Amino acid sequence: MKISFSPKLKQVWKKWEFVLTLIILLEIIIFALKNSKFLMPRVLFGSMNDIISICIISLFVTFVMITGGIDIQAGSIVGLSSIILGVAWQDFGFNIWAASCLAMAAAGVCGGISGFFIAYCGVQPMVVTLGGSFLYTGIGLLVSKLSATESYKGIGGFPEGFLRLSKYRLFGIIPFQVIIFLILAVLAYILLHKTRYGREVFLVGVNQNAAEYSGINTRLIIMSTYVLSAVSASVAGIILTSYLGTAKSDIGATLTLPIITAVVLGGTLSTGGKGSVPGTALAAVAIGTLRFGLPLCFKVSQQYLDIPVGILLLVIIIGRALLNRPGLRVKTVIRGRIPHK
Amino acid sequence: MRKILKTREINSFLFLAGLIFLVGLINPSFWQPVTIINCFNDSVVFTFLSAGIAFVILTGEIDVSIGAVLGLSAAVGATLLRDGYGIAAALFAAIFVGAVVGMINGIGVAVLNIPSLIFTLGVNGVVRGIIYVYTKGAWVENLPADFTLMSNRLLTKNVTYFYGAAVLVVIIGHIILTRTRKGKYFVAVGDNSAGATLVGIPADKIKILSYVLCGIFSSVAGMIYASRIGFITPTAGNGYEMKAIAACVLGGLSLTGGVGSLAGASIGAVIMSSISRILVFLGFSSDYDNTITGFLLLTIVVINTSAQNHTVRKNRHEILLVRTAQKGGEKA
Repeated sequence: MKISFSPKLKQVWKKWEFVLTLIILLEIIIFALKNSKFLMPRVLFGSMNDIISICIISLFVTFVMITGGIDIQAGSIVGLSSIILGVAWQDFGFNIWAASCLAMAAAGVCGGISGFFIAYCGVQPMVVTLGGSFLYTGIGLLVSKLSATESYKGIGGFPEGFLRLSKYRLFGIIPFQVIIFLILAVLAYILLHKTRYGREVFLVGVNQNAAEYSGINTRLIIMSTYVLSAVSASVAGIILTSYLGTAKSDIGATLTLPIITAVVLGGTLSTGGKGSVPGTALAAVAIGTLRFGLPLCFKVSQQYLDIPVGILLLVIIIGRALLNRPGLRVKTVIRGRIPHK
Repeated sequence: MRKILKTREINSFLFLAGLIFLVGLINPSFWQPVTIINCFNDSVVFTFLSAGIAFVILTGEIDVSIGAVLGLSAAVGATLLRDGYGIAAALFAAIFVGAVVGMINGIGVAVLNIPSLIFTLGVNGVVRGIIYVYTKGAWVENLPADFTLMSNRLLTKNVTYFYGAAVLVVIIGHIILTRTRKGKYFVAVGDNSAGATLVGIPADKIKILSYVLCGIFSSVAGMIYASRIGFITPTAGNGYEMKAIAACVLGGLSLTGGVGSLAGASIGAVIMSSISRILVFLGFSSDYDNTITGFLLLTIVVINTSAQNHTVRKNRHEILLVRTAQKGGEKA
């Protein structure tokens, strides 16, 4: 863990992001060879629409995982903020942007509650965010009952300005969502890698006690990362609502696992202390390209997409584990002789 | 240490009893033995799942692939049954599937030393995909009647065979874990993996074993699921892993490992799966299901942890007092 500040490991990081870039390029080349439609900018950028929420949330879940925590409630907050937005706009007569702000504020409070339990009560992050995911999914469902619309239909008919959030394309090509993602990625990069706050996040992940003794308010830092990830989840929820045109309480239900996959694939250690925003962003794009390209170019059914993503994750983590333990050979394991770690 | 273990189970048991009592106060029709026993009967799938994952959680790891394992083994078993094989053959095939996936999980976590959440997450994706490939996205239907009727057969007056089997397995597992030498290894590994290795416990093998057991329990849960529901969709068992983990937490297991028991996990499973039934008796719609589950989970865990932290601090304070008193005594 101590090495994480040494230049040697920095090179490995750079290498890792390099590998991710290579993977993306390889995917694009293979898909383009198979189906030339894939390279059309409109199609290529259009592919981002479906995964933009994973990209945005995983950027900030990286913060949580660097402090050594985990956040499996982000998916439920996506749904919660979507439905709060819809109900506030339709049934309580809020302006659509005011409703968006309300949704983000509510998400921030949710993240704050979970973060408080984790940081100040010392409960395991996994348990708290597990409970949080049940709680916020449930609250989302209850909020949807406040609406006059049946909850399974979803609230629709949003004003044009709000829908343009996802329909507008810069220069007629780049969707506005991609620009939001890029802005957030740059923001997250600066926040994590260029500010004092970012250094403190890393230090808390490396050694919380040492961080505490060096005068950092570690509990506040930990709590803040959960607020950040919850707010980013609500941003993703708002964009997803705009893209789909309907507000529903369950639109984020399947996001949890892809988010964690993206963060881990991006080189973040789940034990904390190591990770980077560019890595996560690249990994999210790599997964997204895979999920988009396989059905388009190889006619793989949508339902089978869990396999390639799962295999990609397994291959990479196993490969990394083998590289880290050169003494480990398949033969020795089969014979039951497991070398010491 | 033993005392703490005992109180944790008894705590969750008292909580369940209190819950039943309270609901009965509000709606006396809940107090009929049939209703209460049905709460237990309905929890049988979660009892197996939680008991299985309890082995893994006790060793300080986690397994989020059990929902997919449940789905895959149910699909494998159900297709065999549909094609005319016997129940024993189907059960054997399902258990084999569960054990293989568990073995892969165990090797990944214990030998390759990959964080368990991440490894089992990847396995979860792959297994979930394999279900689609295996079933070609279609439902497995038309199971033989004698298999689906098995879930209704009663052992005694109200208790089903399945729940009887679950109780038997949990009791045996509990006794093995708490009374035998090998069984205590699980808790020891979870309590302190490095320390356990130093005193000669094969920590890696215990972890692999716990994953294999977890896979087997999940596949048995899958067969029971198949029998109870009567058809298998490709999404069968989606999200069950989180509910099983939540049940374990409700049952007093600590996710850091080394604390808790199988009995606790199975009580947690009953609490977990009877929440929706209880809501009906309280006159709420089942929309409150998730809210109440999340609220209960958070409250219990926060209170539990705060109480634990308090005791730790209090003990430390007392030890400090005793030490300073001793030093003072020596000087005098």
